[in-house]
Amino acid sequence: MLKINDVYAKAGDKEILKGLSLEVKPGEVHAIMGPNGAGKSTLGNLLAGMPHVEATQGSVDFLGKDLLDLEPEERAAEGVFLAFQYPVEIPGVNNMYFLRTALNAQRKYRGEEPMDSAQFLRMVKQKIKDMNMRDDLLKRPVNVGFSGGEKKRNEVFQMGVLEPKLAILDETDSGLDIDALKIVSDGVNQLRSSDRSFIIITHYQRLLDHIEPDYVHVLADGKIVKSGTKKLALELEEQGYGWLNQ
Amino acid sequence: MAGLINNWQEQAKQLINKTESDWLKSVREQALSKLSGLQEPNRKLELWRYADANRLSQSIAAAAEPRPENPLSSELTEQALVIRISENGFELSTDCPDWLKIKNIQQISENQWQEMIFSQETVVNLANVALFNAGVNLEVQSSAAEQELVIVYDFKDQDKWQYVSNRIELPEHAKVKITEQYKAGRLNLINVYHISDRAELIRLQDFRLTQSEQVVSFNQFEIASQASVTNMHVHMGGSIQHHLHRVNFNGNEAKYKSGSINKSFDNNNISDLVEVNHLYKNNESDVTHRSIAKDRSQIFNNAKALVAPGADQSEIEQDLKNILLSEDAKIFSKPELEVYADEVVAAHGSTIGALDEQSLFYLQSRGISIEQAREIMIESFEQEALVC
Repeated sequence: MLKINDVYAKAGDKEILKGLSLEVKPGEVHAIMGPNGAGKSTLGNLLAGMPHVEATQGSVDFLGKDLLDLEPEERAAEGVFLAFQYPVEIPGVNNMYFLRTALNAQRKYRGEEPMDSAQFLRMVKQKIKDMNMRDDLLKRPVNVGFSGGEKKRNEVFQMGVLEPKLAILDETDSGLDIDALKIVSDGVNQLRSSDRSFIIITHYQRLLDHIEPDYVHVLADGKIVKSGTKKLALELEEQGYGWLNQ
Repeated sequence: MAGLINNWQEQAKQLINKTESDWLKSVREQALSKLSGLQEPNRKLELWRYADANRLSQSIAAAAEPRPENPLSSELTEQALVIRISENGFELSTDCPDWLKIKNIQQISENQWQEMIFSQETVVNLANVALFNAGVNLEVQSSAAEQELVIVYDFKDQDKWQYVSNRIELPEHAKVKITEQYKAGRLNLINVYHISDRAELIRLQDFRLTQSEQVVSFNQFEIASQASVTNMHVHMGGSIQHHLHRVNFNGNEAKYKSGSINKSFDNNNISDLVEVNHLYKNNESDVTHRSIAKDRSQIFNNAKALVAPGADQSEIEQDLKNILLSEDAKIFSKPELEVYADEVVAAHGSTIGALDEQSLFYLQSRGISIEQAREIMIESFEQEALVC
């Protein structure tokens, strides 16, 4: 599904990723861990197409397409979803309108018929129920006045509605209390399927207690320095990242 | 430009000869006399510093391009009474309702006329006093509650300046929504609103102009005790739009809240100035501007509050935010507080920037195109100024 081959990338003027390679197959869940400043969020931003994050070398193939050649909205319509570490607030635009606009923009790109408001309402109400979230989320302006936990839940809810093929969760667990962590994790687990993959960027092993990864990678100084199973996350929790400097 | 004052004087002399009532003749003559000692508007004047006053004397061709859309217009209820002001005077969409008395502005009595203070800064508005020949006097009756009316300015001649003057009176406890909508014509407009004790006015000034059209307006609000005014302005397009809103608190415990949305593109030039005079204690004013300029256009927005000595417990808020959508667009934004009282709560702020890149990326990352993302962001920005 996703093949990142020897990618170098800079954020602004600073080179962050330095020869990163990663392959994600359909249905797989990959956790990316690593110390602050290692390049974890830059990886997520690069895949989603954030301006000022630019690949200088290497390639990213997503379902046979050169991902780096696509605009951010095209990447989204192809099936890439980034759950933001710091979701932005958009006053005056309610979630319902925002999500329907996004969904129909993606459908249009894929040559599908737009979803009318009645169909959309039925669909989101079912989703919000399935994901055990409160439906007042739909009427509120996007992320305005949301607590940190609510913003992260909203990201997962958006993911549920847009049904991406590859979801990148950038520190979605940060700032969540135990209950919120469970709601978010349950939401992600519900979306797991044989044709949907996840890249979960996190600092802590605790999220991986709820979302079982297939692979855990350690990202340091812009490249993956170690890969393993969930056991690696437990080792990191015990030992920290000090060994990377040895 | 040399001819602007001369033109006003010549036209005023002709009008004075035709004016029937002595007191109105006298009003025009005094304005004419004052005009002769003043200069035409120019960049040395504070209120015209960022406006291209030269355009006032240029000939303009009939508009060919479509008028900018404003979704707020669709919110007008179909039941609202419509007063259409044109070269032919005014006409009503239905019979005049019981809660309203309407007459031509030139038929008002001397004691209904309120002298306004105009100076060099407001010389264009002074010209209106000498030259007005259209407009209405609206006396809302005390029985009016939750009533709504629309004033439409619709003049066929696109090049000739039209001088319109309106007097609108709300008695105690009345509650009315008045929408002023620009349709066509080159308009020099004065509105004077008298809002009596505990009356409530909701007013929308909806002026969307094509690229060549021009409007100058002066809007004065005389607000009595415990009255409330909610004033929404939407100004879009135009070769020149210059609007001054002057608010006088003449009693205590009254509120004035305004929201402005100014949108310019191409070569538009918009000035939207709000001046609130806190003359008595315990009044609140809250002024919000949201301006968006694109292409080579220019916007000047200003919120000024003056708190007179003794006008304690005044509360003032000025919130001016601006977005530039191109390198050549310009916005001049000026919050101003002039406070001569001791016990005052005042806050003001102004920002100018581009659309937030992070927010645009957030929308794009959900599949929304950059063009649509910009539209959503602008819509979101405007929402903050919607006060009614």
